[in-house]
Amino acid sequence: MQLKDQIALVTGGSRGIGRGIVRALAAEGAKVAFVYRGSREAADALVAEIGNNCQAIQADVAQADSAQRVVDKVIADWGRIDILVNNAGVIRDGLFVRMEPGDWQTVIDTNLGGTFAFCRAAAAQMALKQRSGRIINISSVAAEHVNAGQCNYAASKGAVNAFTRALAVELGSRNVTVNAVAPGFVETDMTEAVRNKTGDFIQKKLIPVRRLGKPEDIAAAVVFLASPGASYITGQVITVDGGLSLGAVSA
Amino acid sequence: MTRDDIFQKVAATLVEALNVDEDQVTPESTLQGDLGAESIDFLDIVFRLEREFGIKIPRNELFPESIFQGDPEFVKDGRVTPKGLAELRAKMPYADLTEFEANPTLEGISDLFTVNLIVSYIESKLASGAKAAA
Repeated sequence: MQLKDQIALVTGGSRGIGRGIVRALAAEGAKVAFVYRGSREAADALVAEIGNNCQAIQADVAQADSAQRVVDKVIADWGRIDILVNNAGVIRDGLFVRMEPGDWQTVIDTNLGGTFAFCRAAAAQMALKQRSGRIINISSVAAEHVNAGQCNYAASKGAVNAFTRALAVELGSRNVTVNAVAPGFVETDMTEAVRNKTGDFIQKKLIPVRRLGKPEDIAAAVVFLASPGASYITGQVITVDGGLSLGAVSA
Repeated sequence: MTRDDIFQKVAATLVEALNVDEDQVTPESTLQGDLGAESIDFLDIVFRLEREFGIKIPRNELFPESIFQGDPEFVKDGRVTPKGLAELRAKMPYADLTEFEANPTLEGISDLFTVNLIVSYIESKLASGAKAAA
């Protein structure tokens, strides 16, 4: 148990990669609060599965007042926040010439704005009061290895990467590390539409390890970055994609 | 609380916040030059002083941020103008500007942030709090 009695907060925790992260942190002994927006049933099921050391908090990370309310609740209940995982994210894919301002704004407000707001709400607690903390932002390989139809998503994740580096510089002297994990193509609800369209092509031709990612693969990197062994790693974007971003096409 | 009591508490706070030795902290020590404070350290010091003295320090009061950022009326050719000095006096009424006024260079501003400045600020803060309570 690498994270015994640590307090963790995970956004977007009821489904997909977030759920994998909540499970993995709990399995390492952390008490985990997670934020969900609409998936009440999935959230309740996850809390029931993990038990006492887990709580679900409803909030939309894109709303300006969500972060402070959630952070305050976790501190009121459990006294501190050791690990913050900004995982909540959405896609609104579409070719740019037809992209509605709302599709741009929703993606930026959730993926980048939510990350900003939760970091802002937790930073003073970690840096000044505790003088310790781990912030882990979930980015995407699609920030650097871009796809058509994702101008909004790529912009949001590229900004998360730059934000991660800049914040790492500011909080380093206070024993708070800030890193990002960039998943490749992971089997979740978010990627379902693309998976249905492309069939086996991606895993057979584009991913060297020949399988899609699982939430557990991403969660393992998050656990590592939260663990004592990663205390000297900060400002990094760790790619976890089975080699997808190497850009090779298998013959 | 006497001025010396305040100094002792401020010094202890700085030792903790800046990871410096006790004997490095004198009333004349400058926070940046002598004690190596960086920008985030100023936030840390404010946070610790609030806790230590049970006071609220409004943002921009003890350590005004970027007083002269980009305002040509306040700074000309790297020197603070008379108008700038008036602004400085208004923003930092507890600072001793006598020496600075003789040679008001932009770089010299950071030397205004001394341990004494904090002690004077806390002293005036506690006095006004006591007055309000009376």
